Amino acid sequence: MLALLFILFAGMAVGCAISMVAQRNPLYSAISLIGVFLALACLYVTLGAPFIAAVQVIVYAGAIMVLVVFVIMLLNVEEEDRPMRLRSLTPIAVGLAAALFAETAFIIFFVHWSPATPTASVSDVGLTSSIGAGLFTTYLLPFEVTSILLLMAIVGAMTLASRAGLLPREAVVVPGYQVLAREVLDPRTTPDLTPIVARSTGEVEEALGVEEAPQITDES
Amino acid sequence: MVPQLSWYLALSAVLFTIGVVGVMIKRNVISMFMCIELMLNAVNLTFVAFSSFFRDVTGQLFVFIVMTVAAAEAAVGLGIIITIFRSRESLDVDDESVLKL
Repeated sequence: MLALLFILFAGMAVGCAISMVAQRNPLYSAISLIGVFLALACLYVTLGAPFIAAVQVIVYAGAIMVLVVFVIMLLNVEEEDRPMRLRSLTPIAVGLAAALFAETAFIIFFVHWSPATPTASVSDVGLTSSIGAGLFTTYLLPFEVTSILLLMAIVGAMTLASRAGLLPREAVVVPGYQVLAREVLDPRTTPDLTPIVARSTGEVEEALGVEEAPQITDES
Repeated sequence: MVPQLSWYLALSAVLFTIGVVGVMIKRNVISMFMCIELMLNAVNLTFVAFSSFFRDVTGQLFVFIVMTVAAAEAAVGLGIIITIFRSRESLDVDDESVLKL
């Protein structure tokens, strides 16, 4: 029964992974990656790790992939064209793939013949309480370092997001002669469509008859 | 028939290899990013399999920390991708061989 479940979910994971690499539209490959995550979560349940399975679904399939899909849709990614390149490296790639398959086969058969064959069993290893106890006693330092890492990630993401404005690179703000509507400069006045022609802040103050010009922010 | 440890290790190796192949053949930055996530998950499967078969909770704690690193990587990486897209108007890695913005 467990073997059948393993074969089912392993097939689902490998199929979704191959589909993810084969798709040219990034949105489709993101959805395939969500399939891989869900299959892996099911495998974690069969391995007796329900907490990790739940976190896998919530954090990976929920948070991270929502972020990725959001960025894909924000940037309006088009399908990629794939011109053939690095064709000269094909024999090397075939050789490396053969070596990898040989290593995998070696691992499978060698582990099968090893005397110690541990088996999965029902225990309290994967439960939330044991994970929490381990996290807050033995591995407290990595836990705290992880929190610092998250803080750095937050600061870094905010810095990256706020450094470049939405203006394109070739946009320039021309200083000097500008024509602005009167209500833009002084919200206290009644709506008046007479424009103010000014060359500097002092001229705006004179035209409006105010002592302190209102704050005008530009995007430069 | 009960699944052996080697089954999970083989599945993890296959998933990791697919992720490596994806990083090599993809040209879109976001697709390469998702392939890196796939590789992280393959390693997570190895951790959980060893943790379950040896009845030691340490592996699952490592998986927890790897997930946190992946979340931080997603936040910062996608921020970098958006910044690059704003200045280059492209997500192709061949256009982004120069890091200077």
